[in-house]
Amino acid sequence: LSLFPPVRPPKKTSPKKPPTKQQAAMAEEQMEEASSSAAASGTPFQLQFDKPIPFQIKLAEWNPEKDLLAMVTDDSKVLLHRFNWQRLWTISPGKCITSICWSPDGKIVALGTEDGFVLLHDVENGKMLRSIKSHDVAIICLNWAEDEPLSRTDKEDLLSYEDRTTRFFPPAPVMPRIGGLNSGDTGLADENEEAIQAFSSASCQRFNILCTGDKDGCICFSIFGIFPIGKININKVPIHVQSSGKRTSYRLQDVSISKVSLSRNLHQLVLLCSGKLINTDNLSLSNDLSVGVHCLHLDTSIFSNRKNELHQVSQQASSIQDLVEVVRASISMMSKQWSNAMNLFHEKFSALPSLLTAHGMESSSEDEFMSLLFGTHTSPALHQFLVSSLGEAGLKRIAKTIESAGRELRIVVSEHLQPAVEIISFRLAELRGLARWRSRFQNIGLDEKLMDGVTERVGMLVVQVERFSRVAATVLYLFQNFLSWVLKCVKILLSEPTDQVPSTNSELVVIFLKFLLDKDPIKQLLETDQIFEWDIDTAKHVEHLVVFGGFTDTKFLERSLAKQFSELEESLKEAFLMPFTTVSSQIHCQGLLPLYPVTSSDALSSTSTPASIAFYKDKDSQHNASSYSSTDYICFKIPDGSLNLRNFVAVIKDFCNSCSTSNTPSLSGFLLHIPVEYECVDLSLYKDNQVVLLLSGKSSSENAGRSWMVMLQTENLSFSQFSRTFPANYYNLQELEALELQLDTDYGKVRSVPHPLSTPLAVSASRGVACIFSSRRHALVYILDEDEDEDEDEGSEME
Amino acid sequence: QNLRLSSHVLSDFGTDGLSIANDNGSFSTSWLRNLSDASSSWHSSSTKPRKLITNDFDNFHFHAQPSPIPTSVLQLAGSAYLMRATAWEHYGSAPMVRMNTLVYATCFADAASSSELSLAYVKLIEQLAVFKGYSAAFCALKLAEEKFPSSTNSQIHLLKMQLLHERALHRGHLRIAQQICDEFGVLSSSVSGVDIELKTEASLRRARTLLAAKQFSQAAAVANSLFTTCYKYNMQVENASVLLLLAEIHRKSDNAVLGLPYALASQSFCKSFNLDLLEASATLTLAELWLALGSNHAKRALSLVYQSLPMILGHGGLELRARSQIVLAKCHLTDPEFSVSEDPCAVLDPLNQAAEDLQVLEYHEMAAEVYYLKAMTYNHLGKEYEREEAAARFKEHVTALENPRDEEDSLVY
Repeated sequence: LSLFPPVRPPKKTSPKKPPTKQQAAMAEEQMEEASSSAAASGTPFQLQFDKPIPFQIKLAEWNPEKDLLAMVTDDSKVLLHRFNWQRLWTISPGKCITSICWSPDGKIVALGTEDGFVLLHDVENGKMLRSIKSHDVAIICLNWAEDEPLSRTDKEDLLSYEDRTTRFFPPAPVMPRIGGLNSGDTGLADENEEAIQAFSSASCQRFNILCTGDKDGCICFSIFGIFPIGKININKVPIHVQSSGKRTSYRLQDVSISKVSLSRNLHQLVLLCSGKLINTDNLSLSNDLSVGVHCLHLDTSIFSNRKNELHQVSQQASSIQDLVEVVRASISMMSKQWSNAMNLFHEKFSALPSLLTAHGMESSSEDEFMSLLFGTHTSPALHQFLVSSLGEAGLKRIAKTIESAGRELRIVVSEHLQPAVEIISFRLAELRGLARWRSRFQNIGLDEKLMDGVTERVGMLVVQVERFSRVAATVLYLFQNFLSWVLKCVKILLSEPTDQVPSTNSELVVIFLKFLLDKDPIKQLLETDQIFEWDIDTAKHVEHLVVFGGFTDTKFLERSLAKQFSELEESLKEAFLMPFTTVSSQIHCQGLLPLYPVTSSDALSSTSTPASIAFYKDKDSQHNASSYSSTDYICFKIPDGSLNLRNFVAVIKDFCNSCSTSNTPSLSGFLLHIPVEYECVDLSLYKDNQVVLLLSGKSSSENAGRSWMVMLQTENLSFSQFSRTFPANYYNLQELEALELQLDTDYGKVRSVPHPLSTPLAVSASRGVACIFSSRRHALVYILDEDEDEDEDEGSEME
Repeated sequence: QNLRLSSHVLSDFGTDGLSIANDNGSFSTSWLRNLSDASSSWHSSSTKPRKLITNDFDNFHFHAQPSPIPTSVLQLAGSAYLMRATAWEHYGSAPMVRMNTLVYATCFADAASSSELSLAYVKLIEQLAVFKGYSAAFCALKLAEEKFPSSTNSQIHLLKMQLLHERALHRGHLRIAQQICDEFGVLSSSVSGVDIELKTEASLRRARTLLAAKQFSQAAAVANSLFTTCYKYNMQVENASVLLLLAEIHRKSDNAVLGLPYALASQSFCKSFNLDLLEASATLTLAELWLALGSNHAKRALSLVYQSLPMILGHGGLELRARSQIVLAKCHLTDPEFSVSEDPCAVLDPLNQAAEDLQVLEYHEMAAEVYYLKAMTYNHLGKEYEREEAAARFKEHVTALENPRDEEDSLVY
């Protein structure tokens, strides 16, 4: 990312204005803003700039590492801006984007689409690196959490594992491209390839997991964002509630997930979802109130306990999957290239049979060529075909096409197919070794038997590749020989000198006429539905080899290359499904907290109710401890009317701990009453246990068009404990102490904004900045921390 | 890199104007034969009930047309696979060795020279012996001897002697092992500087036999002189394994402190030459040496074992795997902070695994050790029935080791 050196916001100096017309028009307003901020010296957040933006923004997210802001417009364009508002790129993925997040290292932006795809884009140029279909419906929320490197004791025992592949192999082959080594390559394709390479090598350094939650209650987990490792359906997760010694089972129905957050130690997951809570023991007990927004705590300790193992497996497996794609592309490309060449050949040579019929002859083209070869006679039909309908130019064209197709085939085999298959087999062998370490790898589902099966299959694939390259070499040679013979004949017929034509072998011409004129052995090997005949000698040989430890499946020579590949794919899928299901089955629901009821009519809109979840490292926990504890904070707006509250925001903390340790109920929180003339537009938790709220004046009130940005230090506010009386009483948030938010008191910092505001609010904890969007299409960036330099270390440490 | 390039020889055939100008007539002969065969069998194959297709250029098809590719080119392309297999033997990837050899034996058997093909079979049988035990290996060896009469093929003969020696050592039949060592010595020429590989192999085996007979000083002397030879002739792989053997000799003679530098030297040697499997076994020996130094080093030994396990379990043979499992269990047992009753699986699982592997290998000495450790563990856990069972097995193996009754069997396979 050398392109983007971290840009620190310049302090106390207004940003340089790029001399565009649009911005010049805005200069006036900016000046005004600047002067007003200077006048009110006590104003907390410094306005960095206020820029018009010609789009309606629906999602925005700051890069965790660099000063970059990714925004999604209403029509699903993605924009990336620098801190100085210089636009780096714009892309239109052509799909409706419903969620966005950054990879922990800030090198990839992940987009969730309405049709269930996760798109990963490179920060450098916006190129799509991957597109993974993991859901069936819209992905509402994304969360990409990286394992925090802990103390040294943690590293000692297994991190010494090394991926040996880089030591023994050249860089992995990439997808073959049409055109091969021909000149005229566009630079774009090259860049893309490099990006994929960089992606697979660079982002696998530290263990991270991307969680995606969809509209139908499914959560998917994928390591590095590419290797799927688990999927759970909240609709099917049993929720056990312990109350007064009795255990009751519940289940959620019609779940729609609105927010997920995985803690930094990957130990726990908190999610907000709407759905109907039903008692599975007694179905009649559910009532209207049970439809609401709930908070769930999932135990994902499998990720933290087995992170080294998962890291190793996913590192190997994801590159195997990449290479499988390379093999697939190679096979389809070879098939395409070859059939193009063959089509041309058959198209030209099919003129001969019809000419023969026209001349009233009953012989086949094979016979005609044969008699030409043996010098008996040249029929008028063949003469006409060779001299007029084919001609020297036509023949040369065919020869050239076949030669270039053959070259392509050779390049694809030797540069893509063979190396890819070789690396796949090496990596599979490494994985098989890991699978043998049962005490460590069995509980993440790496199965020794399945890995053995895959290793066997890949061995057969290598044999098939070897067979293919041999058949291809022979056939190409025969074509070359035949075509030069025909060229020679044409020259003789035209009485031209033949000394330029390379000498030919007439035996090979006979073989060509008999076996290649109307057959295509290369195509046979590239099709999946062919079964090959093979003789008893070979069968014996292969069975003989079994005694020496050969492939136990002796029928593999019946299959074509493409068929063998699809079998390998199948067994790979099966082998990688095991970790997927095993890990999924080890994610359990630990606790449930109903937050507020929603009537079914506004259930849909409730998913867009502002909410934020964050984990903060406990201040008192020691840094050296192998596992530190963290506290979760959940902050959300209560929709007007629900729980008979209007204009309230709730903050809850320590939900996870209260689930796991039932004897010390630590669950606490408070309610915040927003002044009546304002409404909460968006909110976000911010580093150091702060909450940032965006309040906008209601259109009916006199404050319309006036807004506030408020940052509250939650520690200054009184958290009151509240008991979880569930299931006796579903919702008890009302019990919490309600505080009136006064815009002039010193709960925290307050700043007025002279615009009506809209969602989203994007805060960056690492940079200490916030970007807000006015409904008049303006983007405003504020600096949240005045003491930037002092806060810097603390900030990066806290989040 | 060079090996990878060599596989291009086949795919690039014909591009550089390489043709069969030097036709010696063999092509025409096979061509005539095949042509008539192919036309007559045409109808018979098409009447088969299953819808089969014939690929006339597939070398697995009997009636395949003779390839215009000369045998020499095929041999060249094929030996690339054999070379790869050998390279992987050193780098340490057992499945890659097997796969490359199999590809050679399957695809290039028709063009291969007898010495190269027998080399492929030797490699396959070696793999069998290391991973599946001696019975499977000897079974395959018999077939190979039929295929390649041993009078003409020294490779198969050498392999037979190697296997017999290994098995004699494992079974504890030291007299036989000594006898085979002597035979080895005779095989090589008496001129110095000739047949170096054979000579090093012979003295390596002699040192190991002496070690098994607990004649440590003699074994060390042989190994030392061997190291000098290997160093002189720049035989790096042998250097590393001789160093490892020296470490082993010192460990077995209860001189762990003396063994440490040898193990470390071997380890760094392996590292610089990418001999991963040998490095893993050097690391394992290192762990054993630390363990021998006292229980306060158990933690260090354990982390060394963990370091080497992925490599050993993935690519090591039965013996190495069993050894690593035993060391793993021992690390736990010697660790004063570890309590068997809390986590019996941590000890019993590796031991059971090792017992399973050693059964196949007929390695009495190590099997006895495993059952001893198992009996001790069960004793701790208070499981008397299991303890008695393990003790009985221990006794069985010790008797077999101490009274080699059927020693003559060792030459029969």
